[in-house]
Amino acid sequence: MSAAARPLPGPATGPISGPISGPVGEPPGGPDDGWRGLAGRSPWASGVKSLAIVVAAAIPLARFLVGRDWPAGGIVAACAGAAVLIVAVVVAYDLLRLRTTRWRLTHERLELRSGLTTRQHRSVPRDRVRSVDLRADPVRRAFGLSVVKVGTGEHAADGSELVLDPLSRRDAEALRRTLLHQDAAEEPADGPLAELSWSWIRYAPLSVWTFTGAAVVLGALYKVLDSFGAKRLTTRVATGAWEWITAHPLVAVPLLLGVNLAVGVLGAVLLFAESWGHYRLEREPGRLRLRRGLLTTRSLTLEERRLRGVEITEPLLLRLGGGARVRTIATGLGKAADDETEDAAALTPPVPRALAVRVAARVSGTGLPSLAPHPAAARRRRVVRALVTTAVMAAGAALVPWDWARGWVWLVPAVTLAYGMWLAVAGAASLGHALGPRHLVARRGAVVRRTVALDRRGIAGWTITESLFQRRSGLLTVSATTAAGRGHYDVVDVGRADGLDLAAHAVPGLLDPFLIREGAS
Amino acid sequence: MSATGLRPPRNRADPRAVPWWTVQWLILMVPVAGAAVAAYWMFTERALWLGVVAGVFAAGCLVLAVVGPRASYRVERWEVTDQAVYTRKGWLTHTWRVAPMSRIQRVDTARGPVQRLFGLADVTVTTASSAGAVKIEALDHEVAAELAERLTAITQATPGDAT
Repeated sequence: MSAAARPLPGPATGPISGPISGPVGEPPGGPDDGWRGLAGRSPWASGVKSLAIVVAAAIPLARFLVGRDWPAGGIVAACAGAAVLIVAVVVAYDLLRLRTTRWRLTHERLELRSGLTTRQHRSVPRDRVRSVDLRADPVRRAFGLSVVKVGTGEHAADGSELVLDPLSRRDAEALRRTLLHQDAAEEPADGPLAELSWSWIRYAPLSVWTFTGAAVVLGALYKVLDSFGAKRLTTRVATGAWEWITAHPLVAVPLLLGVNLAVGVLGAVLLFAESWGHYRLEREPGRLRLRRGLLTTRSLTLEERRLRGVEITEPLLLRLGGGARVRTIATGLGKAADDETEDAAALTPPVPRALAVRVAARVSGTGLPSLAPHPAAARRRRVVRALVTTAVMAAGAALVPWDWARGWVWLVPAVTLAYGMWLAVAGAASLGHALGPRHLVARRGAVVRRTVALDRRGIAGWTITESLFQRRSGLLTVSATTAAGRGHYDVVDVGRADGLDLAAHAVPGLLDPFLIREGAS
Repeated sequence: MSATGLRPPRNRADPRAVPWWTVQWLILMVPVAGAAVAAYWMFTERALWLGVVAGVFAAGCLVLAVVGPRASYRVERWEVTDQAVYTRKGWLTHTWRVAPMSRIQRVDTARGPVQRLFGLADVTVTTASSAGAVKIEALDHEVAAELAERLTAITQATPGDAT
């Protein structure tokens, strides 16, 4: 059966036919029936969104025409003409796309036919559907539309998802419920696992971006102004600013740092609000559902069958502020799309540490056991590494031939020593491992501390490494390979016997035939 | 106090692995050593001490090409039981890998052009993990084919979806 040749029947072919009505979950009788269009209001949303292109195009056009000494009326007319043209093209394209896109839901499968020039027919068996994610940016939300992504939980290669762009919000919700076998009445029994509390916003600025973000934004702004041809203006402003700074360094430097920080904090807070507003994490039967987003709303589902564990991450600044975040370790999770502000594995925003631990425990189903520390040799190894690095730096500094560097070059090894020792001590203090009833738990990291609870049934093998220096201090690194997340999770610098015992007990029977135990039986 | 350790896997690579690896190392090392000597000859004023450094470097490369494969042969071992594939490799850093049969997704054999001259083949066992591939290097190509067949048979007989 050719997907391209046949004219497609459907109830909603016009641009303003309104929301599709009728039950989504009831496929009509014949095998060729039931094809339906996307939401007819889409061109309106596209038209509104194309105004952004209009603005971006009109400004350089106006500048160009001013340069040519056009009269004001002519410039306005030209810009208006360009605007109408752009909007018309965008709307026409969307109309065509809408007319050529049809989808249907039968008892067995979800099918999508699309493509203006290259016709595509994609079909996903319903029992393979693992996730149904909804996403609506502010414009689509205003028009009551949602983009639906249906994932099959395959290793998320390009195009493994089926995207319905867009459906009306009601249809999208109904489709989600139907595909995930859920009745509308069925509500999660025990309340949400976590729900946004605006007090968490205090953790938002605790990131490196707060201190660098403002500079990055300023740089980007400079670029944008440049591309609009305002080079003379930006150069003049930049030169003026530089002169002022060099003239009054005592006032200017603290002021600049203060402004940088203020902008960074503001940006971080706004980003937090947009990403995590309306945040709600719920457990539905057999899956987790995460909803978030103040302006662009997103609804993500994750089947618990794909869950292989959880990870608590504590970047340095967040850790100092007493916060932590929870991420999933799951199979077939894709990378975040470019326009996403959070990666697909994020389960919570930065939250108080105690809450993060609670959420991790509830998601993984068991509490996290207390961790056993690693031998003192692990710390010694790190201290030696820091000292050797310092020694190399010091030797380098002593050999520096330039006179102008002599005065301050000793600062390099001094800073290296301080930072290296801190890394060594904090890194060694972070190390820990434990075996829970269902999970292998490992913790590591000085700058970003990660506590990983990996489902023992998700372990797909072991890689055990022992470097020359590790061998001399009786340590080794046990790495559990898994299909989920980063692919392997390591217990670093654990005592040899402890590490091997840990691996042997975590997956009974796998490692035992290859172990030699001397002394005790 | 018990001393726990990993025992070495039972089987070694095929003895022909030593000449094969030596050829491989030489293909890499001869140009490096040659380049060092040539650079000394053409681009310097042929100071004696520099000549000694270049000579020692070139000789070191060639010695490494001869010693490296023998050391690898002593260290590299493999074993396949009914439950798992088990390998050891690495000279300074020892690496042991264990992949259970129930998680094996793919078994590949591969033969490079030089490798074919020696009648050798590699077997790569891939699990669902992106980090979990286990490679058994330099087997006799018939042994490798047999092993791959056996592994495929065991894998198919073992239940589980391999994730």
